[in-house]
Amino acid sequence: MFRQLQARFGGPLAMAIVTLLGIWLIVMVTLPQLQMIEYSLKPNLLPAQVGGPDDRLTLANYATLFNNDIHRTIFFKTIWSSVLVTLLTLAVSYPLAWYLAKVATPRQAALCILLLIIPFWINEILRTYSWFIILAFRGPLNEVLMMLGLIDRPIRFLSGNGGVMVGMVYAYILFMVFPVYNAIESLDDNQVRAARDLGAGTVRTHRRIVIPHAKPGIATGCIMTFMLAAGSYAVPALLGSPGSRWFTQIIYNWFFEGGNWNQGAAYAFLLLVLCIGFMSLVMKIFKVGLGDIGR
Amino acid sequence: MDGSVRLDEVVMRFGDFTAIEKTSLAIGSGEFFSFLGPSGCGKTTLLNIVSGFITPSEGQVYIGDEPMAGVPVNRRPTAMIFQNLALFPLMTVFENIEFGLEVRGVDKRKRREVSERLLALVALEDSGPKMVTELSGGQKQRVAIARALAVEPRVLLLDEPLSALDLKLRQHMRTELKAIQRKTDITFIYITHDQGEALNMSDRVAVMSAGRIQQVADPMTLYREPATGFVASFVGENNRLQTRVIDREGERVRLDGGALGELAGRVGSEARLVNGEAAMLFVRPENLRPVAADAAGPRLEAEIEAVHFEGAWVMLEARLIASGEKLRVQLGHEVSRGQAGAVAVGQRMHFGFEPADAVVLSDDGSPMVDEETGEVVADSQAQAGGMHV
Repeated sequence: MFRQLQARFGGPLAMAIVTLLGIWLIVMVTLPQLQMIEYSLKPNLLPAQVGGPDDRLTLANYATLFNNDIHRTIFFKTIWSSVLVTLLTLAVSYPLAWYLAKVATPRQAALCILLLIIPFWINEILRTYSWFIILAFRGPLNEVLMMLGLIDRPIRFLSGNGGVMVGMVYAYILFMVFPVYNAIESLDDNQVRAARDLGAGTVRTHRRIVIPHAKPGIATGCIMTFMLAAGSYAVPALLGSPGSRWFTQIIYNWFFEGGNWNQGAAYAFLLLVLCIGFMSLVMKIFKVGLGDIGR
Repeated sequence: MDGSVRLDEVVMRFGDFTAIEKTSLAIGSGEFFSFLGPSGCGKTTLLNIVSGFITPSEGQVYIGDEPMAGVPVNRRPTAMIFQNLALFPLMTVFENIEFGLEVRGVDKRKRREVSERLLALVALEDSGPKMVTELSGGQKQRVAIARALAVEPRVLLLDEPLSALDLKLRQHMRTELKAIQRKTDITFIYITHDQGEALNMSDRVAVMSAGRIQQVADPMTLYREPATGFVASFVGENNRLQTRVIDREGERVRLDGGALGELAGRVGSEARLVNGEAAMLFVRPENLRPVAADAAGPRLEAEIEAVHFEGAWVMLEARLIASGEKLRVQLGHEVSRGQAGAVAVGQRMHFGFEPADAVVLSDDGSPMVDEETGEVVADSQAQAGGMHV
C-alpha cells in the first residue's frame, strides 16, 4: 500500500498519509479500546485506593451481567429485538431495492433515492423525535386512524416495542437499501427473463435467481443494520418505554448515572464481542467473506 | 403437438417510433425459420413479441392456433435461448437444465432422467454436476439448448445464440443446431444478422429491414430471386448498377447503363418495370468473368484496386472506368489455371456476365447495404443522384 501511495503522491506526502492513518488507528481507535478493556478488568475504586492492594485484575465486572437477571434479560432481549429490526428492515428494503434497481426508470430511481436521502440531512435525534410526535397517544397517526374509522380509541404505540421497532427500521433503512440495491442492480436482466421464460413465477424467480445473486448485499445490509440496532442509544431512549429498555441504556447508566466506568466498560465489551460473534455467524451462514462487505 | 406460429397484422410502436410495421406471417410446425436483418431492423422485437416479453401495439400472435394475447411469458409454450445465454451462474449444469421442470413440480428423479437424456443429446454426458462457470463457450451453448428443450417447448426461440462463439465453433454449432432441430421436430425461430447462419440452417428465411419484412423464401430462392434491392444487396454479395429500362423481351431486359453503355439482365420475380424508368441491375461477384475488350454482350471495364487471395478464390476490388463506382469480382476456376496470378493492382480489365445471371429490379429506393458490416450506408436516391448525369 505504501508503495502505491508513494508512486501517486511522492515520498514525503505518502509518509505523512501513512503516519496520520497510523495515529488515527492507534491513538484514536486502538488505545481507547484497550483502555476500556483495562477498565473492565478492574474494580471500581475510589481515587485513593488506586494502586493500593485492592487494585488488581478481576472478572467480577463480567460476572455481574450473569448474576443480574434483569440485565441478562435485557441483554438477550436487545439481541433478539435487533434481529427482529434487521429482518423487518430487510422486508421493507428488498422490494424497494428491487424497484429501484430493475423496475424504475432512471429518473424515477433518482427521485426515489433523493426522497430517501433527504430526511437523513436532519440529525438522528430530531428524526427520532418526529417519530415520537407521529406515534404519540394524541399524535397525528392516531388521529388519522380514528378519522378513517379504523380504530375507535387511540393506540399506545410507544408503550411497547412497537415504537422502537418503527424508529429503528426508519433510522437504518438506507444501510439496508443501498447494499441490496447495488447487488440487485448488477444482476443481468436476462437472468430474470430466462427464469420467467422457463415458467417461473415472481416468487420463484426471486427465491432462486435474484436473492441468491443479491446474497452478499443482503448479508452486508443485515450486518450493518444489526450492529447499528444493537448499539443504538437514541432510538430506544426516545421512543422506548420502561418495558423496552435497550442494553445500551444500561451501559449508559453505568457510566453516567452509576459512575461505575469499570462496570460499564465490561458491559460494552460484552456487547461488542456478541456483535462480532453474530456478524461472523451471519457471514458463515450466507458464505460471505469480509471482502464482499467492503465492496 | 402443434408448433405453428402465426402473426396476424402485428404492429409494434415505441412512442413515435414504429419498430414493426404491420406484419402477417405464418410459420409451419417443425419449421426452421430465420429472421435475417441488420441490427435495429426489428427482428429481436418480433422475437420478444412471440415469447411474450413484449405485448404488440396491434395484432395478434397465435401459437398452434391459440391466441397468445394475455398469456404471460411463463405460460407460453415457447422457450428462448438468449444472446448471452443467461445461464444461471450460481447453479450446476443439472440445476440449470432442471430449473424449468422444478418450476413445473416434476419430481427429482424424473427431472434427473430428463436432464441426463438432454445432456446426451447435446453430447455433454459427464458435465451435469459441474458449475456452468466451469464450462467453455461451446459447452455453455449446449447447456442453454438443453435447458430450453427441457420444458418441451412447441417453439424454440433463438436470439443470435452463436454470435459469441469463434468462427470454427460457430460453424460446428450450426450443424448441431440443425441436427437437434431435426431430431426434436420443434419449431425453431432463429434471429440473426449473419446471412451465412440463416442460409445454412433455415428452411425459410424472412429478410427484414426497418421494421418491415422484405421477403420470405427458402434460402436458395432468396439468393437467386431477391424480391427487393435490399434483399439483393444484403443476402450474399452483389454489385448494384443504376440503369434505365430500354425494353423487355420475355425474361430478358435491355438496359441503358448511362456511361456504362448498354447492359442486359433477367427480370426479377416481383419487379415492375416500365420502359424508360429507373431500374437496378444486380450482378454477383462470382458471375463476373474476365473477357476480351471486344467480346459481345454486356461488358464492364474496370481498374483493379486490390487483389485478395482467399484460397479457393480471389476477390478483386475494382473501380468502373466509366462511372467511378466500385465493382467486386470473384475469380474461382481461374485461380487453378493460374490466370488470377497475373491480375495486378492498377491493371485495366474487361468483365462480362450472362444476362440470365443478373437480376433486374425496379428501383424501390431501398437502402444500400455495406457488404462488410451489413449496415445501411445510404439510401439509393442519394446514391443514384450522382450517377445519372
